[in-house]
Amino acid sequence: MTRSVTWDLVKKDWWLYRLHIVISTAAGVAALGLCFKGGEVAGVIGAVWIFTALVIVACMLPMSAIVNERKKQHLPFVMSLPVSVREYTAAKLVSSVGMFLMPWLVLVAATVALIEVRGFLPKGSIPFAVIVLLLPFVGFCLITGSALVGESEGWTIAATVACNSSYWLAWFLIARTPGLMELAKGNTPVWNGQLLWIVAGELGVIAGSLGLTFLLQSRKRDFI
Amino acid sequence: MNGLAIDLRGVGKKYKFFSLNRIHLQVPEGQIMGLIGPNGAGKSTTIRILMGLVHQDCGEAFVLGRRMPDEQIAAKWDIGFASEDMRLYDAMTVGWHLRFIASMFPGWDNAYAQVLLKRFGLQAEQVVRGLSHGQRVKAMLLLVLARKPKLLVLDEPTTGLDPVARHEVLRELTAVMKDEGRTILFSSHNTHDVEQISDTITFIDRGRIIDSMDKEMYLDRWRRLRLEVPSGERLPALPGIIGVRQEGRLAILTANAFEPGLANEYESRGARVQAIETMTLEEIFVANVERSRVDCGEEVEA
Repeated sequence: MTRSVTWDLVKKDWWLYRLHIVISTAAGVAALGLCFKGGEVAGVIGAVWIFTALVIVACMLPMSAIVNERKKQHLPFVMSLPVSVREYTAAKLVSSVGMFLMPWLVLVAATVALIEVRGFLPKGSIPFAVIVLLLPFVGFCLITGSALVGESEGWTIAATVACNSSYWLAWFLIARTPGLMELAKGNTPVWNGQLLWIVAGELGVIAGSLGLTFLLQSRKRDFI
Repeated sequence: MNGLAIDLRGVGKKYKFFSLNRIHLQVPEGQIMGLIGPNGAGKSTTIRILMGLVHQDCGEAFVLGRRMPDEQIAAKWDIGFASEDMRLYDAMTVGWHLRFIASMFPGWDNAYAQVLLKRFGLQAEQVVRGLSHGQRVKAMLLLVLARKPKLLVLDEPTTGLDPVARHEVLRELTAVMKDEGRTILFSSHNTHDVEQISDTITFIDRGRIIDSMDKEMYLDRWRRLRLEVPSGERLPALPGIIGVRQEGRLAILTANAFEPGLANEYESRGARVQAIETMTLEEIFVANVERSRVDCGEEVEA
């Protein structure tokens, strides 16, 4: 028998944690509705709500799908199946990233569409919205990596606290970068070199943390 | 494959406070081996190594002819593994677990799974969170048995079960044993459970295999001799005797290679044989552990 069960494990996670995805997407969509219907204040509240929904998913998913699986002793059950640590890690990364991307893609697309259609923010803010919404994705990948490699609730909480604190610092640094905020006030989205570098940096951290997680997991000698 | 379902050759693993000391363990195909050891003896470490979950520091491990941990995926298709520290997903039903495993294993026997569901008093609609410990263990065994694996590895499966649940689990395992091609490795610190189903027994203590033998041979060869000794005399440990405890004129000897000539030999030295008693597996196990610890220079309480 040579069939891989990786995909079975991915489907299992998506089924087990489907409520997380539905609730977070629904919360995000409700926030979008608030942005769409309300005035300026409601728009700001809605934007914060969207970001918060993504931050919560970024924390909750690794905690439920990885830390609790180990803590509640489901991991020995999974590892009794025809799967190696490498395959388990691949399945976990694919299922987790997939689960995170569902609400994330919906909310990013809707946010961009909202700015384009509703116009409660200048269209020049679209690149900034993408950059800001990429931050929870970066945090999610770092927390997921810590949960898998660290194998403990403590490491995962530490990574969560570090990421959640860093979002505000990242916002602050972007806001203080000379010339960038002026672009956000423009009527057309402009992707200049600086903005592209920031996006590339975020994508680099995402790819790097996922790759490093896979590498470190593959080298583990003791898994349970 | 060389006819061995499990073949551990000089396998060692070092932790900060525990070492598995280059153990050799062979389980031929079709055999039911009981692995008995006290808590912390190395049973679970041994089993994790042969499941590929822990990599040995030295030695070679082969399971169903596959080298572990490198070929663990191929090997695990034919291994049914259940351990005391394994839990099903609490929020899901028994039926969901059945479908999950059935979708992966082409050899899944759904008719047998339904028979086991009934026999174990389980219902597919039951949520795991609502099951008792005994029901959870039975559900776990059901998932393993209905896969029809060539090798069953059970790490303390009866721990924490009430007597009725334990009886049901052991009865099912006994039924499984009728399939002569199936090999079972059953670890426990409960000698009574192991005695019921095993043909071969291996004792492990402090990371060392201290004895391994056919179960009937253990029961045949081990005896306890109660002797009355002339006052002032001390009895020697003749060959075949591994323990002598003497208080005043009463001596209790433990033999691991008993033969009737032994009693005659002590009688010829002036002792009077009061009784020759058979030993239970638990007594044999305890005596074996004590002897092993004495051999290693540790003090053992009388």
